[in-house]
Amino acid sequence: MSVSTTEVKATTNLGNRVLGSIRRNIQTYTLLIAVVVIWAIFYFLTGGSYLDPQNISNLFRQMSVTSFLSLGMVLVIVTGGIDLSVGKLAGFVSVVCAYLQYFTWYSLFPNQPLLAAILSVICGLLVGTLAGALQGYFIAFQGLPAFIVTLGGMWLFNGLILWRTAGKTIAAHQAYFSSIAQGYIPPIWGWIIFAIILALLVWNVFSSRRGKAKYGFSLRPLYRDLLNAAIPAVLIAAYIFSVNAYKGIPAPVLLLAVVAMVMMYVANNTRFGRYAYAIGGNREAARLSGINITSVLFRVFILMGFLCGVAGIVLASYVGYGTIAAGQGYELDAIAACILGGTSPLGGVGTIPGALIGALIIGSLSTGLQMMNVAPAWQFVVKAVILVLAVLVDVYFKKNR
Amino acid sequence: MDNEIILEFQHITKQFPGVVALDDDSFQIRRGEIHGICGENGAGKSTLVKILSGVYPYGTYEGKVIYDGEELKLGQSSIREAVEKGIAIVYQELTLVPTRTVGENVYLGKEPVEHGLINWNKLYADTREILEKYQLDVDPRAIVNNLGMGKMQMVEIAKALSENAKVLILDEPTSALSKAEVEKLFQILRGLKEHGITCIYISHRLEEFFQITDQVTVMRDGKIITTQPVEKVTLNDLVKYMVGREMKERFPKGNRHPGEVVFEVQDLEAVDPNNPSRKVLDGVSFNVRKGEILGIAGLMGSGRTELVLTLFGEYGKITKGKIRLDGKEIEPKSARKAIDAGLSLVPEDRKKMGLVLIQSILRNISLPNLDQFSSFFRINANEERQASLQQAKSLTIKTSSLDVQALTLSGGNQQKVVISKWLLSRPSVLIMDDPTRGIDVGAKFEIYKLMNDLAEKGEAVIMISSELEEVLGMSDRVMVMCRGHSTLTLPIAEASQERVMALATGVAVA
Repeated sequence: MSVSTTEVKATTNLGNRVLGSIRRNIQTYTLLIAVVVIWAIFYFLTGGSYLDPQNISNLFRQMSVTSFLSLGMVLVIVTGGIDLSVGKLAGFVSVVCAYLQYFTWYSLFPNQPLLAAILSVICGLLVGTLAGALQGYFIAFQGLPAFIVTLGGMWLFNGLILWRTAGKTIAAHQAYFSSIAQGYIPPIWGWIIFAIILALLVWNVFSSRRGKAKYGFSLRPLYRDLLNAAIPAVLIAAYIFSVNAYKGIPAPVLLLAVVAMVMMYVANNTRFGRYAYAIGGNREAARLSGINITSVLFRVFILMGFLCGVAGIVLASYVGYGTIAAGQGYELDAIAACILGGTSPLGGVGTIPGALIGALIIGSLSTGLQMMNVAPAWQFVVKAVILVLAVLVDVYFKKNR
Repeated sequence: MDNEIILEFQHITKQFPGVVALDDDSFQIRRGEIHGICGENGAGKSTLVKILSGVYPYGTYEGKVIYDGEELKLGQSSIREAVEKGIAIVYQELTLVPTRTVGENVYLGKEPVEHGLINWNKLYADTREILEKYQLDVDPRAIVNNLGMGKMQMVEIAKALSENAKVLILDEPTSALSKAEVEKLFQILRGLKEHGITCIYISHRLEEFFQITDQVTVMRDGKIITTQPVEKVTLNDLVKYMVGREMKERFPKGNRHPGEVVFEVQDLEAVDPNNPSRKVLDGVSFNVRKGEILGIAGLMGSGRTELVLTLFGEYGKITKGKIRLDGKEIEPKSARKAIDAGLSLVPEDRKKMGLVLIQSILRNISLPNLDQFSSFFRINANEERQASLQQAKSLTIKTSSLDVQALTLSGGNQQKVVISKWLLSRPSVLIMDDPTRGIDVGAKFEIYKLMNDLAEKGEAVIMISSELEEVLGMSDRVMVMCRGHSTLTLPIAEASQERVMALATGVAVA
């Protein structure tokens, strides 16, 4: 009798654990399922061409600009704020880069394309960071609502774009600068990078186990840790295999991956990241826990500005010029990516991988609808339905938990 | 049915899980009188009011309420129903919309409408009529925000009366008023009485009962102790009725040996940062020794919570006084500075101020202590988990894992998480603001034991409590606060319930 009771208990425990783990990660799973469903639908609708290596390569390259923005936007929304200026700020940075490329560097150091490209990148990052700091100052130190400050920022950067371009298109297609977003990692290097990632994943498993053992924590079976590491490894390998059939990993996708890793680290493993989540979760409790809310909010907006700088550089390099429409509407794509990815508009909750998958969903929809020659009017309608539906499903699950 | 009686409670019992809030209560309120109700915090006054106002509708309590000759049966939309039947409440926290006019507030939700539009002239004329009828001296078109506390209360009363109230309940109406405003309020109440309106008057300021009420009911532990005409009782009688409580719960009496003074506050004065003309602390002095529990007693609104938040650098602006910790003078300008100096605060409201409910137990415990586990750019997650786990274990938090969200825990376990978080910062002085509020008896006892263990180990503990017996049961010395100042610090042997209550209500002057 007692034996059978224990057995029942053991199975329910295992069952509970599996169920619990699924429930905990339901958002991530539903998102991945959504990606698969969307890809499958477009695969059939386009007669298979949707999943061509060339298209996969383009899809990821196109989504990279808004993805940089959504990486920062996650933290902004997590602290309970919003940033409406990111699209125009990235656009302004792209115009600044194009302008410097085309006019300034050319006259200052002719025939120094590498130096010019490096200086453009530095200036782009600087402009983004300073703009973020300026807005962060008003939000954190003066206590103005982020919505208002960044709405003002959006108009300001739009004005600056119009002023600097004077309505014209400025070319930015020098070889070095263009390779930032238009370059590809040669296939052999793609596999070398994969080997490095694989080694890091395995090393991470063993080093984390060693750490846990040192502090006397119980370890999960080794195969489970390895399995956990195997899932991203397989996905990455599949991706590299696919894009290598075209020209290799697009350079901006690699850059995005590196920045995303850094941001994940910042969000989870630094005091700054932890404080941001605590402030969004309960401002009062965070304050009484000795967190300097002003400083954290200020730094969040500086980081957001820096990432706008990165996005702007990639944008200029990708399209090859700076225009008056640069970055138009990107802020809303970035916000939507975060919300789709499970970031709570109320603050306190949200993950970097979630936002990336959100951006992937939006990118997949846009590319697919474009390939099928759906009129832009209906593209917006489809995106609207998907966004609201996704959040509705999420709210439904949370209510019934 | 006697027409003289407007409201009669017959054997009312109201239970919450683990607590009996009202215990077989019966009493009567006569038509047109001002009926005072007094009792310690948690005696059951608010529960009684909530039954009348429909917060707890018919069926959620036992017994009968007879109102104006009929049994009161408030149903689904019970709060609205109560108002329509003529029972109106003026709450302790005012419920006005501060940016709108007096008239708009009085008629909020019942604006006179003509052809789908609000008839503003009628609204203001009607408001003026009410205000004049009851001699409320307020301009109907004034913006509420620009009025003082006293006038806001008049608006609140006008709002209640605009529904033709027969019974008006005033919950602690004078706690935020100046002396002159209190006098004005009493005049208004006497006017209401002339118009035949019955008032239920709840207050902690016992002397007020003698100025304004006809009868007084004393409550204690959910029971009605007595209802008497006010001229037949004295202040001391009231105090005795309020506290005559047995020490039912057991408190762990430890083997504590208080040592030298670690924390000292001298003549502290502070003002409300949003309203610098309002003093929230007016002369507070006390000290705490190593290895002792100092109890701070005082009624709601006496400045207890304001005191600890000010010490923690997060509320009042200090205008005078000294704070010394470990012999050094400190100026707590922010929570971070207070924590670094060696103070820890378990705040009054664990859900609003103590925890990030959506985060895990682990992240809650480590939140103020991340500096301990961090190098410049990295939190050592293993160290963080080890230290938090150790703390959680020593407080026996009941959970399957530290990764569970704090909101899934019971009240007692949540409080243990808050205490864990603050013990991990290794404070010199641990301040606990009402640490057992809203948790069940078993968990309460565990928290008492924990406090005792800490003090035995030499920790200095300050405990604020709304429950008199808790203060007396746990403390080595008791400091009593009354209206923003500290009256006396009594050794426990000299602190009787009567004496502390007399000091807290301002009946006895130190």
